[in-house]
Amino acid sequence: MKGRTIVITSGKGGVGKTTATANLGSALAMRGHRVVVIDTDIGLRNLDVIMGLENRIVYDLVNVIEGRCRLRQAMIQDKNRLELYLIPAAQTRDKDSITPEQLKALCAELENEFDFILIDCPAGIEQGFKNAVAAAGEAIIVTTPEVSSIRDADRVIGLLEATGLHRPKLIINRISAEMVKRGDMMGQEDVESLLAVEVIGLVPADERTVAAANRGIPAVHDGRSTAGAAFTRIAARIDGEEVPLKELDARPGVFNRLRDMVGIKGRAYSHA
Amino acid sequence: MGWVVVIAESSPAEAESPPKADKQQPAVLIKGRGTEVAFNLDENAPLEDVARELDSQLAGQTTLFSKGGISVNTGNRHLAADEEEEIRRIFREKSGLKIARFISATGASAERVHDDVGPLVSQDARPSVVEEPPVHRTRKNPTPLSEFSSADLARALSGMSPQGQRTRDRALVVRGTIRSGETVQHLGDLVVLGDVNPGSEVLADGDIVVMGSLKGLPHAGASGDNKAAVIALEIACPRVRIGGAEANAPVSGSVAAKRRKQASTAAQPAIAYIRQGKIHVSPFAGRFARYTKGVPYEG
Repeated sequence: MKGRTIVITSGKGGVGKTTATANLGSALAMRGHRVVVIDTDIGLRNLDVIMGLENRIVYDLVNVIEGRCRLRQAMIQDKNRLELYLIPAAQTRDKDSITPEQLKALCAELENEFDFILIDCPAGIEQGFKNAVAAAGEAIIVTTPEVSSIRDADRVIGLLEATGLHRPKLIINRISAEMVKRGDMMGQEDVESLLAVEVIGLVPADERTVAAANRGIPAVHDGRSTAGAAFTRIAARIDGEEVPLKELDARPGVFNRLRDMVGIKGRAYSHA
Repeated sequence: MGWVVVIAESSPAEAESPPKADKQQPAVLIKGRGTEVAFNLDENAPLEDVARELDSQLAGQTTLFSKGGISVNTGNRHLAADEEEEIRRIFREKSGLKIARFISATGASAERVHDDVGPLVSQDARPSVVEEPPVHRTRKNPTPLSEFSSADLARALSGMSPQGQRTRDRALVVRGTIRSGETVQHLGDLVVLGDVNPGSEVLADGDIVVMGSLKGLPHAGASGDNKAAVIALEIACPRVRIGGAEANAPVSGSVAAKRRKQASTAAQPAIAYIRQGKIHVSPFAGRFARYTKGVPYEG
Protein backbone atom coordinates (compact mmCIF):
# COMPACT_ATOMS: atom_id res chain seq x y z
CA MET A 1 0.00 0.00 0.00
CA LYS A 2 1.24 3.44 -0.88
CA GLY A 3 2.11 5.85 1.88
CA ARG A 4 0.28 9.07 2.65
CA THR A 5 2.04 12.36 2.19
CA ILE A 6 0.70 14.98 4.56
CA VAL A 7 1.84 18.60 4.65
CA ILE A 8 1.70 20.40 7.97
CA THR A 9 1.28 24.09 7.36
CA SER A 10 -0.16 27.25 8.88
CA GLY A 11 0.73 30.42 7.02
CA LYS A 12 1.73 32.18 10.18
CA GLY A 13 5.02 31.37 11.84
CA GLY A 14 5.48 30.22 15.39
CA VAL A 15 2.16 28.47 15.81
CA GLY A 16 3.68 25.03 16.25
CA LYS A 17 4.05 23.43 12.82
CA THR A 18 7.43 21.96 13.56
CA THR A 19 6.40 20.80 17.03
CA ALA A 20 3.30 19.22 15.55
CA THR A 21 5.34 17.50 12.83
CA ALA A 22 7.83 16.08 15.34
CA ASN A 23 5.08 14.90 17.67
CA LEU A 24 2.81 13.44 15.01
CA GLY A 25 5.77 11.73 13.36
CA SER A 26 6.81 10.16 16.66
CA ALA A 27 3.25 9.25 17.60
CA LEU A 28 2.59 7.58 14.25
CA ALA A 29 5.86 5.69 14.51
CA MET A 30 4.92 4.60 18.04
CA ARG A 31 1.76 3.17 16.53
CA GLY A 32 3.97 0.92 14.44
CA HIS A 33 4.06 2.88 11.20
CA ARG A 34 7.07 3.60 9.09
CA VAL A 35 7.36 7.38 9.00
CA VAL A 36 9.55 9.99 7.33
CA VAL A 37 9.45 13.62 8.34
CA ILE A 38 10.84 16.15 5.89
CA ASP A 39 11.89 19.62 6.95
CA THR A 40 11.29 21.92 3.97
CA ASP A 41 12.17 25.09 5.83
CA ILE A 42 15.41 25.46 3.92
CA GLY A 43 17.65 28.08 5.48
CA LEU A 44 15.80 28.06 8.80
CA ARG A 45 15.77 24.45 9.78
CA ASN A 46 14.32 23.54 13.16
CA LEU A 47 12.82 20.10 13.00
CA ASP A 48 16.18 18.44 13.65
CA VAL A 49 16.59 20.47 16.83
CA ILE A 50 13.12 19.66 18.12
CA MET A 51 13.78 15.97 17.48
CA GLY A 52 17.24 16.17 19.04
CA LEU A 53 18.99 15.02 15.88
CA GLU A 54 20.96 18.15 15.10
CA ASN A 55 24.34 16.55 15.73
CA ARG A 56 23.73 13.66 13.40
CA ILE A 57 23.15 15.66 10.23
CA VAL A 58 25.59 14.84 7.47
CA TYR A 59 23.49 15.27 4.32
CA ASP A 60 20.29 17.23 3.83
CA LEU A 61 17.27 17.59 1.57
CA VAL A 62 19.07 19.77 -0.98
CA ASN A 63 21.95 17.29 -1.17
CA VAL A 64 19.49 14.52 -1.98
CA ILE A 65 17.70 16.54 -4.61
CA GLU A 66 20.92 17.66 -6.22
CA GLY A 67 22.09 14.07 -6.29
CA ARG A 68 25.09 14.60 -4.02
CA CYS A 69 24.07 11.70 -1.81
CA ARG A 70 21.70 8.80 -1.81
CA LEU A 71 18.30 9.26 -0.24
CA ARG A 72 19.14 6.78 2.53
CA GLN A 73 22.24 8.74 3.49
CA ALA A 74 20.21 11.84 4.28
CA MET A 75 17.66 9.98 6.37
CA ILE A 76 18.44 10.17 10.08
CA GLN A 77 16.79 7.63 12.31
CA ASP A 78 15.00 8.80 15.43
CA LYS A 79 16.79 8.70 18.78
CA ASN A 80 14.40 6.14 20.19
CA ARG A 81 15.12 3.78 17.31
CA LEU A 82 11.55 4.06 16.12
CA GLU A 83 10.81 3.53 12.45
CA LEU A 84 10.99 7.30 12.12
CA TYR A 85 13.40 9.10 9.85
CA LEU A 86 14.18 12.75 9.40
CA ILE A 87 15.29 14.38 6.18
CA PRO A 88 16.66 17.70 7.41
CA ALA A 89 16.61 20.96 5.48
CA ALA A 90 19.80 22.60 4.29
CA GLN A 91 20.76 25.47 6.50
CA THR A 92 23.07 27.29 4.11
CA ARG A 93 20.75 27.40 1.12
CA ASP A 94 17.40 29.00 0.41
CA LYS A 95 13.90 28.02 -0.63
CA ASP A 96 14.68 28.34 -4.32
CA SER A 97 17.20 25.50 -4.11
CA ILE A 98 14.47 23.00 -4.79
CA THR A 99 11.41 22.99 -6.99
CA PRO A 100 7.93 21.63 -6.27
CA GLU A 101 8.45 18.94 -8.91
CA GLN A 102 11.66 17.70 -7.28
CA LEU A 103 10.01 17.36 -3.89
CA LYS A 104 7.04 15.68 -5.50
CA ALA A 105 9.32 13.09 -7.11
CA LEU A 106 11.12 12.52 -3.80
CA CYS A 107 7.88 11.94 -1.92
CA ALA A 108 6.57 9.64 -4.63
CA GLU A 109 9.70 7.55 -4.11
CA LEU A 110 9.27 7.55 -0.33
CA GLU A 111 5.60 6.62 -0.58
CA ASN A 112 6.58 3.21 -1.90
CA GLU A 113 8.49 2.40 1.24
CA PHE A 114 6.86 4.34 4.06
CA ASP A 115 3.39 4.63 5.52
CA PHE A 116 3.52 8.32 6.28
CA ILE A 117 5.55 11.17 4.87
CA LEU A 118 5.05 14.32 6.93
CA ILE A 119 6.21 17.55 5.36
CA ASP A 120 7.03 20.37 7.74
CA CYS A 121 6.13 23.47 5.77
CA PRO A 122 7.86 26.81 6.30
CA ALA A 123 5.85 29.85 7.34
CA GLY A 124 4.60 32.14 4.64
CA ILE A 125 2.99 31.47 1.29
CA GLU A 126 5.99 31.90 -0.97
CA GLN A 127 8.29 29.40 -2.68
CA GLY A 128 8.84 27.26 0.41
CA PHE A 129 5.11 26.85 0.88
CA LYS A 130 4.63 26.02 -2.80
CA ASN A 131 7.37 23.39 -2.61
CA ALA A 132 5.92 21.77 0.48
CA VAL A 133 2.34 21.77 -0.73
CA ALA A 134 2.99 20.39 -4.21
CA ALA A 135 4.03 16.97 -2.97
CA ALA A 136 1.23 16.47 -0.47
CA GLY A 137 -1.96 14.53 -0.88
CA GLU A 138 -3.41 15.76 2.39
CA ALA A 139 -2.96 18.81 4.53
CA ILE A 140 -3.09 19.59 8.22
CA ILE A 141 -3.38 23.23 9.20
CA VAL A 142 -2.02 24.28 12.56
CA THR A 143 -3.49 27.38 14.13
CA THR A 144 -3.55 28.95 17.53
CA PRO A 145 -6.78 30.51 18.79
CA GLU A 146 -5.61 33.99 17.87
CA VAL A 147 -7.14 36.15 15.16
CA SER A 148 -3.87 36.66 13.31
CA SER A 149 -3.17 32.96 13.17
CA ILE A 150 -6.72 32.16 12.13
CA ARG A 151 -6.64 34.79 9.41
CA ASP A 152 -3.50 33.25 7.98
CA ALA A 153 -4.96 29.78 8.26
CA ASP A 154 -7.98 30.98 6.31
CA ARG A 155 -5.73 32.33 3.58
CA VAL A 156 -3.77 29.09 3.45
CA ILE A 157 -6.93 27.00 3.24
CA GLY A 158 -7.99 29.09 0.26
CA LEU A 159 -4.60 28.59 -1.38
CA LEU A 160 -4.68 24.86 -0.70
CA GLU A 161 -8.11 24.59 -2.26
CA ALA A 162 -6.84 26.47 -5.28
CA THR A 163 -4.08 23.89 -5.70
CA GLY A 164 -6.53 21.03 -5.36
CA LEU A 165 -5.91 20.10 -1.72
CA HIS A 166 -9.46 20.04 -0.47
CA ARG A 167 -10.80 19.49 3.01
CA PRO A 168 -7.71 20.11 5.08
CA LYS A 169 -7.82 19.14 8.75
CA LEU A 170 -7.28 21.63 11.50
CA ILE A 171 -5.24 21.40 14.68
CA ILE A 172 -5.96 24.14 17.20
CA ASN A 173 -2.76 24.48 19.14
CA ARG A 174 -2.06 26.09 22.51
CA ILE A 175 -5.67 26.38 23.52
CA SER A 176 -6.35 27.27 27.13
CA ALA A 177 -9.57 25.90 28.55
CA GLU A 178 -9.40 28.48 31.28
CA MET A 179 -9.17 31.43 28.91
CA VAL A 180 -11.87 30.06 26.63
CA LYS A 181 -14.11 29.72 29.65
CA ARG A 182 -13.49 33.32 30.61
CA GLY A 183 -14.29 34.43 27.07
CA ASP A 184 -10.81 35.79 26.51
CA MET A 185 -9.87 33.20 23.93
CA MET A 186 -11.69 31.81 20.96
CA GLY A 187 -12.90 28.30 21.52
CA GLN A 188 -13.22 25.41 19.14
CA GLU A 189 -16.65 26.46 17.90
CA ASP A 190 -15.47 29.96 17.10
CA VAL A 191 -12.50 28.77 15.11
CA GLU A 192 -14.49 26.04 13.45
CA SER A 193 -17.32 28.33 12.40
CA LEU A 194 -14.93 30.85 10.92
CA LEU A 195 -12.72 28.42 9.03
CA ALA A 196 -15.39 25.86 8.17
CA VAL A 197 -12.98 22.93 8.16
CA GLU A 198 -12.88 19.77 10.23
CA VAL A 199 -10.99 20.00 13.51
CA ILE A 200 -8.77 16.97 13.97
CA GLY A 201 -7.44 17.93 17.37
CA LEU A 202 -7.18 20.46 20.14
CA VAL A 203 -3.79 20.75 21.75
CA PRO A 204 -3.77 22.42 25.15
CA ALA A 205 -1.17 25.00 26.03
CA ASP A 206 1.37 23.00 28.00
CA GLU A 207 4.67 24.17 29.43
CA ARG A 208 6.04 20.68 29.14
CA THR A 209 6.01 21.04 25.33
CA VAL A 210 8.61 23.78 25.62
CA ALA A 211 10.74 21.67 27.93
CA ALA A 212 10.40 18.69 25.60
CA ALA A 213 11.46 20.75 22.60
CA ASN A 214 14.50 22.06 24.47
CA ARG A 215 15.51 18.54 25.39
CA GLY A 216 15.00 17.34 21.83
CA ILE A 217 12.45 14.72 22.84
CA PRO A 218 8.96 15.28 21.40
CA ALA A 219 6.23 15.64 24.04
CA VAL A 220 4.50 12.43 23.00
CA HIS A 221 7.27 10.56 24.81
CA ASP A 222 6.40 12.40 28.01
CA GLY A 223 3.59 10.56 29.76
CA ARG A 224 2.69 13.60 31.84
CA SER A 225 2.37 16.04 28.97
CA THR A 226 -1.24 16.92 28.12
CA ALA A 227 -0.11 18.27 24.75
CA GLY A 228 1.74 15.03 24.09
CA ALA A 229 -1.40 13.06 24.87
CA ALA A 230 -3.34 15.30 22.50
CA PHE A 231 -0.86 14.62 19.70
CA THR A 232 -1.09 10.89 20.38
CA ARG A 233 -4.86 11.11 19.93
CA ILE A 234 -4.47 13.17 16.75
CA ALA A 235 -2.14 10.50 15.37
CA ALA A 236 -4.82 7.90 16.09
CA ARG A 237 -7.35 10.02 14.19
CA ILE A 238 -4.98 10.41 11.25
CA ASP A 239 -4.71 6.63 11.36
CA GLY A 240 -8.48 6.43 10.90
CA GLU A 241 -9.41 5.65 14.48
CA GLU A 242 -12.53 7.21 15.95
CA VAL A 243 -11.33 9.14 18.95
CA PRO A 244 -13.72 11.75 20.33
CA LEU A 245 -12.35 15.25 20.69
CA LYS A 246 -12.04 15.74 24.42
CA GLU A 247 -8.84 17.62 24.83
CA LEU A 248 -10.21 20.45 26.90
CA ASP A 249 -10.97 20.07 30.57
CA ALA A 250 -14.47 18.81 31.13
CA ARG A 251 -16.78 21.69 31.77
CA PRO A 252 -20.52 22.25 31.46
CA GLY A 253 -21.63 21.84 27.91
CA VAL A 254 -18.87 19.52 26.87
CA PHE A 255 -21.33 16.78 26.04
CA ASN A 256 -23.34 19.14 23.93
CA ARG A 257 -20.24 20.07 22.05
CA LEU A 258 -19.36 16.42 21.54
CA ARG A 259 -22.83 15.76 20.27
CA ASP A 260 -22.44 18.67 17.89
CA MET A 261 -19.24 17.20 16.61
CA VAL A 262 -20.76 13.81 16.02
CA GLY A 263 -23.53 15.44 14.05
CA ILE A 264 -21.19 17.83 12.30
CA LYS A 265 -22.03 16.55 8.84
CA GLY A 266 -25.56 17.76 9.23
CA ARG A 267 -24.52 21.30 9.93
CA ALA A 268 -25.43 23.96 7.47
CA TYR A 269 -21.90 25.15 6.93
CA SER A 270 -20.19 21.80 6.76
CA HIS A 271 -20.40 21.65 2.97
CA ALA A 272 -18.68 24.93 2.52
CA MET B 1 -47.12 20.41 -21.22
CA GLY B 2 -45.36 17.13 -21.49
CA TRP B 3 -44.66 17.32 -25.18
CA VAL B 4 -41.26 17.13 -26.67
CA VAL B 5 -40.42 18.22 -30.14
CA VAL B 6 -37.16 16.93 -31.42
CA ILE B 7 -36.15 18.33 -34.73
CA ALA B 8 -33.29 16.26 -35.95
CA GLU B 9 -31.72 15.38 -39.26
CA SER B 10 -33.31 11.98 -39.16
CA SER B 11 -36.80 13.33 -38.64
CA PRO B 12 -38.71 12.47 -41.80
CA ALA B 13 -41.42 15.03 -41.09
CA GLU B 14 -39.03 17.90 -41.56
CA ALA B 15 -38.91 19.37 -45.01
CA GLU B 16 -35.81 21.47 -44.56
CA SER B 17 -33.17 19.01 -43.53
CA PRO B 18 -29.94 20.47 -42.13
CA PRO B 19 -26.96 20.45 -44.46
CA LYS B 20 -24.81 17.98 -42.55
CA ALA B 21 -26.73 14.71 -42.51
CA ASP B 22 -23.83 12.56 -41.34
CA LYS B 23 -23.69 14.02 -37.83
CA GLN B 24 -24.73 11.78 -34.96
CA GLN B 25 -26.32 14.44 -32.82
CA PRO B 26 -28.55 17.29 -33.93
CA ALA B 27 -26.93 20.64 -33.39
CA VAL B 28 -30.23 22.02 -32.15
CA LEU B 29 -32.59 20.03 -29.97
CA ILE B 30 -35.94 21.54 -29.06
CA LYS B 31 -37.76 20.48 -25.92
CA GLY B 32 -40.80 21.59 -24.01
CA ARG B 33 -40.04 22.49 -20.45
CA GLY B 34 -43.28 23.22 -18.65
CA THR B 35 -44.76 26.27 -20.32
CA GLU B 36 -41.55 27.24 -21.99
CA VAL B 37 -39.62 25.85 -24.88
CA ALA B 38 -35.97 25.05 -24.51
CA PHE B 39 -33.52 25.07 -27.38
CA ASN B 40 -30.55 22.88 -26.56
CA LEU B 41 -27.59 23.85 -28.66
CA ASP B 42 -25.00 21.17 -29.22
CA GLU B 43 -21.97 22.34 -27.27
CA ASN B 44 -19.51 20.53 -29.53
CA ALA B 45 -20.76 21.56 -32.94
CA PRO B 46 -19.19 24.64 -34.49
CA LEU B 47 -21.22 27.73 -33.73
CA GLU B 48 -21.72 28.47 -37.44
CA ASP B 49 -23.40 25.08 -37.89
CA VAL B 50 -25.56 25.69 -34.85
CA ALA B 51 -26.56 29.11 -36.15
CA ARG B 52 -27.35 27.75 -39.60
CA GLU B 53 -29.46 24.94 -38.22
CA LEU B 54 -31.25 27.23 -35.82
CA ASP B 55 -31.96 29.48 -38.76
CA SER B 56 -33.61 26.73 -40.74
CA GLN B 57 -35.49 25.29 -37.77
CA LEU B 58 -37.03 28.58 -36.88
CA ALA B 59 -38.30 29.45 -40.33
CA GLY B 60 -42.07 29.05 -40.27
CA GLN B 61 -42.29 27.72 -36.72
CA THR B 62 -43.70 30.83 -35.07
CA THR B 63 -47.13 29.47 -34.15
CA LEU B 64 -45.68 26.48 -32.35
CA PHE B 65 -43.65 28.50 -29.92
CA SER B 66 -45.68 31.63 -29.40
CA LYS B 67 -47.31 30.55 -26.13
CA GLY B 68 -44.37 30.22 -23.85
CA GLY B 69 -41.00 31.72 -23.02
CA ILE B 70 -37.96 30.71 -24.95
CA SER B 71 -34.82 29.52 -23.27
CA VAL B 72 -31.58 28.62 -24.94
CA ASN B 73 -29.35 26.01 -23.35
CA THR B 74 -25.77 26.25 -24.52
CA GLY B 75 -24.51 23.32 -22.45
CA ASN B 76 -20.86 23.65 -21.62
CA ARG B 77 -20.34 26.23 -24.28
CA HIS B 78 -19.85 29.72 -22.93
CA LEU B 79 -21.11 32.28 -25.40
CA ALA B 80 -19.32 35.56 -25.81
CA ALA B 81 -21.49 38.67 -25.84
CA ASP B 82 -21.41 38.97 -29.63
CA GLU B 83 -22.18 35.28 -30.11
CA GLU B 84 -25.10 35.59 -27.76
CA GLU B 85 -26.28 38.61 -29.70
CA GLU B 86 -26.04 36.61 -32.92
CA ILE B 87 -28.34 33.91 -31.52
CA ARG B 88 -30.76 36.56 -30.33
CA ARG B 89 -30.74 38.14 -33.75
CA ILE B 90 -31.62 34.81 -35.40
CA PHE B 91 -34.56 34.37 -33.07
CA ARG B 92 -35.72 37.93 -33.53
CA GLU B 93 -35.53 37.92 -37.30
CA LYS B 94 -36.70 34.40 -38.05
CA SER B 95 -39.48 34.03 -35.53
CA GLY B 96 -40.11 37.38 -33.93
CA LEU B 97 -39.60 35.68 -30.57
CA LYS B 98 -37.60 37.03 -27.71
CA ILE B 99 -35.30 34.80 -25.74
CA ALA B 100 -36.26 34.74 -22.08
CA ARG B 101 -32.93 33.44 -20.95
CA PHE B 102 -29.70 31.71 -21.73
CA ILE B 103 -28.76 28.67 -19.69
CA SER B 104 -25.35 27.16 -19.53
CA ALA B 105 -24.30 24.02 -17.71
CA THR B 106 -22.25 23.75 -14.57
CA GLY B 107 -18.96 23.57 -16.40
CA ALA B 108 -15.90 25.47 -15.38
CA SER B 109 -16.18 27.73 -18.38
CA ALA B 110 -19.78 28.61 -17.77
CA GLU B 111 -19.74 31.35 -15.23
CA ARG B 112 -22.86 33.28 -15.68
CA VAL B 113 -26.54 32.89 -16.02
CA HIS B 114 -28.24 35.25 -18.32
CA ASP B 115 -31.79 36.10 -17.57
CA ASP B 116 -33.03 38.58 -20.08
CA VAL B 117 -36.42 39.95 -19.19
CA GLY B 118 -38.68 38.18 -21.63
CA PRO B 119 -42.35 38.81 -22.44
CA LEU B 120 -43.58 36.58 -19.62
CA VAL B 121 -41.52 38.24 -16.98
CA SER B 122 -42.17 41.76 -18.15
CA GLN B 123 -45.88 41.45 -17.31
CA ASP B 124 -44.82 41.11 -13.74
CA ALA B 125 -44.45 44.38 -11.92
CA ARG B 126 -41.85 43.07 -9.55
CA PRO B 127 -38.18 43.26 -10.40
CA SER B 128 -36.81 40.27 -12.17
CA VAL B 129 -35.55 37.42 -10.09
CA VAL B 130 -32.92 34.99 -11.18
CA GLU B 131 -34.71 31.71 -11.43
CA GLU B 132 -31.88 29.58 -12.68
CA PRO B 133 -30.37 26.72 -10.74
CA PRO B 134 -27.16 27.95 -9.15
CA VAL B 135 -24.22 27.82 -11.45
CA HIS B 136 -20.98 26.67 -9.96
CA ARG B 137 -18.05 28.87 -10.62
CA THR B 138 -14.44 27.97 -10.18
CA ARG B 139 -12.53 30.39 -8.09
CA LYS B 140 -10.40 32.87 -9.91
CA ASN B 141 -6.85 33.44 -8.94
CA PRO B 142 -6.97 35.84 -6.09
CA THR B 143 -5.80 39.31 -6.92
CA PRO B 144 -3.53 40.87 -4.31
CA LEU B 145 -5.45 43.50 -2.42
CA SER B 146 -2.84 46.16 -2.92
CA GLU B 147 -3.10 46.00 -6.66
CA PHE B 148 -6.29 47.91 -7.05
CA SER B 149 -8.33 50.61 -5.50
CA SER B 150 -12.05 50.93 -5.39
CA ALA B 151 -12.01 53.53 -8.14
CA ASP B 152 -10.01 51.26 -10.42
CA LEU B 153 -12.46 48.49 -9.86
CA ALA B 154 -15.42 50.67 -10.58
CA ARG B 155 -13.79 51.56 -13.87
CA ALA B 156 -12.87 47.97 -14.61
CA LEU B 157 -16.34 46.73 -13.87
CA SER B 158 -18.05 49.38 -15.96
CA GLY B 159 -15.66 48.59 -18.77
CA MET B 160 -16.72 44.96 -18.59
CA SER B 161 -20.30 45.79 -19.38
CA PRO B 162 -20.87 44.66 -22.95
CA GLN B 163 -23.48 47.23 -23.86
CA GLY B 164 -22.00 49.95 -21.74
CA GLN B 165 -24.92 49.76 -19.36
CA ARG B 166 -25.83 47.94 -16.23
CA THR B 167 -26.98 44.38 -16.55
CA ARG B 168 -28.74 43.79 -13.28
CA ASP B 169 -30.19 40.55 -14.53
CA ARG B 170 -26.94 38.66 -14.48
CA ALA B 171 -26.25 36.81 -11.25
CA LEU B 172 -23.29 34.79 -10.16
CA VAL B 173 -23.67 32.13 -7.51
CA VAL B 174 -20.54 31.12 -5.60
CA ARG B 175 -20.81 27.99 -3.52
CA GLY B 176 -18.54 27.85 -0.54
CA THR B 177 -16.54 30.07 1.71
CA ILE B 178 -14.64 33.02 0.31
CA ARG B 179 -11.40 33.05 2.22
CA SER B 180 -8.84 35.62 3.19
CA GLY B 181 -6.94 36.94 0.20
CA GLU B 182 -9.54 35.90 -2.31
CA THR B 183 -11.45 38.34 -4.46
CA VAL B 184 -14.66 37.58 -6.28
CA GLN B 185 -15.95 40.18 -8.64
CA HIS B 186 -18.88 40.02 -10.95
CA LEU B 187 -20.69 42.24 -13.35
CA GLY B 188 -24.18 41.82 -12.00
CA ASP B 189 -25.62 40.52 -8.77
CA LEU B 190 -23.47 38.23 -6.66
CA VAL B 191 -24.74 35.47 -4.40
CA VAL B 192 -22.39 33.68 -2.02
CA LEU B 193 -23.62 30.43 -0.49
CA GLY B 194 -21.22 30.50 2.41
CA ASP B 195 -19.24 32.91 4.54
CA VAL B 196 -17.18 35.80 3.31
CA ASN B 197 -14.18 35.70 5.61
CA PRO B 198 -12.05 38.59 6.83
CA GLY B 199 -9.39 39.67 4.37
CA SER B 200 -11.43 38.79 1.30
CA GLU B 201 -13.26 41.07 -1.09
CA VAL B 202 -16.53 40.66 -2.90
CA LEU B 203 -17.41 43.12 -5.61
CA ALA B 204 -20.48 43.28 -7.73
CA ASP B 205 -22.00 45.63 -10.19
CA GLY B 206 -25.35 44.93 -8.57
CA ASP B 207 -26.39 43.60 -5.18
CA ILE B 208 -24.33 41.31 -3.00
CA VAL B 209 -26.19 38.58 -1.16
CA VAL B 210 -24.29 36.45 1.34
CA MET B 211 -26.00 33.38 2.73
CA GLY B 212 -23.61 33.34 5.62
CA SER B 213 -21.56 35.67 7.70
CA LEU B 214 -20.09 38.65 5.91
CA LYS B 215 -16.75 39.61 7.41
CA GLY B 216 -14.76 40.57 4.35
CA LEU B 217 -15.03 43.78 2.37
CA PRO B 218 -18.13 44.08 0.20
CA HIS B 219 -18.55 46.57 -2.61
CA ALA B 220 -22.01 46.52 -4.10
CA GLY B 221 -22.82 48.67 -7.11
CA ALA B 222 -19.12 48.86 -7.76
CA SER B 223 -19.49 50.77 -10.98
CA GLY B 224 -21.22 53.57 -9.18
CA ASP B 225 -24.77 52.43 -8.44
CA ASN B 226 -25.86 53.90 -5.13
CA LYS B 227 -29.09 51.92 -5.21
CA ALA B 228 -27.29 48.61 -4.83
CA ALA B 229 -27.43 46.83 -1.48
CA VAL B 230 -25.46 44.34 0.56
CA ILE B 231 -27.53 41.62 2.19
CA ALA B 232 -26.14 38.96 4.50
CA LEU B 233 -27.31 36.57 7.19
CA GLU B 234 -24.88 38.50 9.34
CA ILE B 235 -23.17 41.75 8.47
CA ALA B 236 -20.04 41.62 10.58
CA CYS B 237 -17.62 43.40 8.31
CA PRO B 238 -15.74 46.42 9.58
CA ARG B 239 -16.29 48.32 6.35
CA VAL B 240 -18.93 48.54 3.65
CA ARG B 241 -18.74 50.04 0.17
CA ILE B 242 -21.81 50.75 -1.90
CA GLY B 243 -21.51 52.65 -5.15
CA GLY B 244 -19.28 55.59 -4.44
CA ALA B 245 -19.81 55.53 -0.69
CA GLU B 246 -17.67 53.86 1.92
CA ALA B 247 -18.22 53.60 5.64
CA ASN B 248 -16.97 51.90 8.77
CA ALA B 249 -19.00 49.93 11.25
CA PRO B 250 -19.70 52.08 14.30
CA VAL B 251 -18.68 49.65 16.97
CA SER B 252 -15.56 47.69 17.49
CA GLY B 253 -14.47 45.76 20.50
CA SER B 254 -12.27 43.07 21.90
CA VAL B 255 -12.69 39.42 21.11
CA ALA B 256 -14.42 39.05 24.43
CA ALA B 257 -16.83 41.87 23.69
CA LYS B 258 -17.69 40.35 20.34
CA ARG B 259 -18.25 36.98 21.89
CA ARG B 260 -20.53 38.36 24.52
CA LYS B 261 -22.43 40.27 21.91
CA GLN B 262 -22.78 37.16 19.78
CA ALA B 263 -24.00 35.16 22.70
CA SER B 264 -26.62 37.68 23.77
CA THR B 265 -28.03 38.63 20.40
CA ALA B 266 -28.03 35.98 17.75
CA ALA B 267 -26.82 37.21 14.38
CA GLN B 268 -29.68 38.29 12.22
CA PRO B 269 -30.05 38.91 8.49
CA ALA B 270 -29.22 42.48 7.66
CA ILE B 271 -29.11 44.82 4.73
CA ALA B 272 -26.72 47.66 4.04
CA TYR B 273 -27.98 50.42 1.78
CA ILE B 274 -27.48 54.07 1.03
CA ARG B 275 -29.88 56.54 2.55
CA GLN B 276 -29.34 60.24 2.01
CA GLY B 277 -25.82 59.62 0.84
CA LYS B 278 -24.84 57.59 3.89
CA ILE B 279 -24.55 53.87 4.38
CA HIS B 280 -27.03 52.42 6.84
CA VAL B 281 -27.51 48.88 8.09
CA SER B 282 -30.90 47.52 9.11
CA PRO B 283 -32.39 44.15 9.91
CA PHE B 284 -33.38 42.58 6.63
CA ALA B 285 -37.06 42.88 5.76
CA GLY B 286 -36.97 42.12 2.06
CA ARG B 287 -34.87 43.57 -0.71
CA PHE B 288 -37.43 46.16 -1.74
CA ALA B 289 -38.94 46.96 1.60
CA ARG B 290 -39.05 50.59 2.60
CA TYR B 291 -36.08 51.15 4.82
CA THR B 292 -35.81 54.23 6.93
CA LYS B 293 -32.99 55.13 9.21
CA GLY B 294 -30.93 52.14 10.23
CA VAL B 295 -27.63 52.03 12.06
CA PRO B 296 -25.64 54.71 10.26
CA TYR B 297 -22.11 53.71 9.35
CA GLU B 298 -19.40 56.27 9.77
CA GLY B 299 -17.96 57.42 6.53
